[in-house]
Amino acid sequence: MTDQVAEELKDRLRLIESMIAEGRRTTESWGWTFVLWGVAYYIAIAWSTFGHSTMAWPVTMIAASILTFGLASRKASRHPETTLGRAMIAIWFGMGISIFVVLLALGFSGRADLHIAVAIVGAMLGSANATSSIILKWKMQFASALVWWTAAAVSCFLSETQAGILFLAAIFFCQIVFGIYCMIAESRKQKSHSAANGASHA
Amino acid sequence: MIHGKLRLALLSLLSSVEEAEFTWLRAKTGSTDGNLGAQLLKLEEAGYVAVEKKFVQRKPQTLYRMTESGRQALTEYVQALKQLLGAAIDA
Repeated sequence: MTDQVAEELKDRLRLIESMIAEGRRTTESWGWTFVLWGVAYYIAIAWSTFGHSTMAWPVTMIAASILTFGLASRKASRHPETTLGRAMIAIWFGMGISIFVVLLALGFSGRADLHIAVAIVGAMLGSANATSSIILKWKMQFASALVWWTAAAVSCFLSETQAGILFLAAIFFCQIVFGIYCMIAESRKQKSHSAANGASHA
Repeated sequence: MIHGKLRLALLSLLSSVEEAEFTWLRAKTGSTDGNLGAQLLKLEEAGYVAVEKKFVQRKPQTLYRMTESGRQALTEYVQALKQLLGAAIDA
């Protein structure tokens, strides 16, 4: 085999490797969903507290779900479907449905209590964040899971007002702050990805 | 069949995702619409990729998915390349 042919074959192997790496490289952005849901929780809390409406939580959660689905489908049309992406959707979809069903049942049965609500929501969000962080190998998200689990456990020992304040603080750190951090990280990643692509096509 | 650079790039890309849209493949390969369409058609005729056309939010979308025979062809191609290169290194 001549050197020229060997070089051409090596070139083909490099092409295969680079294309597989390109396909696996994720440019999906999910930071906005954390911020959106954080804001939705705050709206629901404010509405139910000051408006004294029993419909505040179901209405806000359904509206946030529709908004998330609409925006996510628009973004998804620009990305290929991957097993990793589907796994992430499955985790958060399952968690969302579980919280919705349990809290709705508690609300209608008249057994809803802030301690129980914070414990359930905190435990479920902790579980989803932890699972997601282990799959994505993302330590920051695991820290977020730890905050949710701590809030879930501690809320059981606090007064209703204290549990409420704890819930508001957990939402702020794990949804708003973490969501903004994700958005900044994703934006940097996309910029470096674009720069790398530009260099490779040059 | 898959030794062509663009066809090889397409199969490699499709091997790493479940399915991909035409525009995404075009962006990743930097190919023109005509060339990309022609090469994808060849891969489809060979049974290496499956095509699905649908409408998403009233916009037409063409999705490509690698078939099992496409995956097998790519695996065999990589093995053959490695054997040839191994022989070249040994020689």
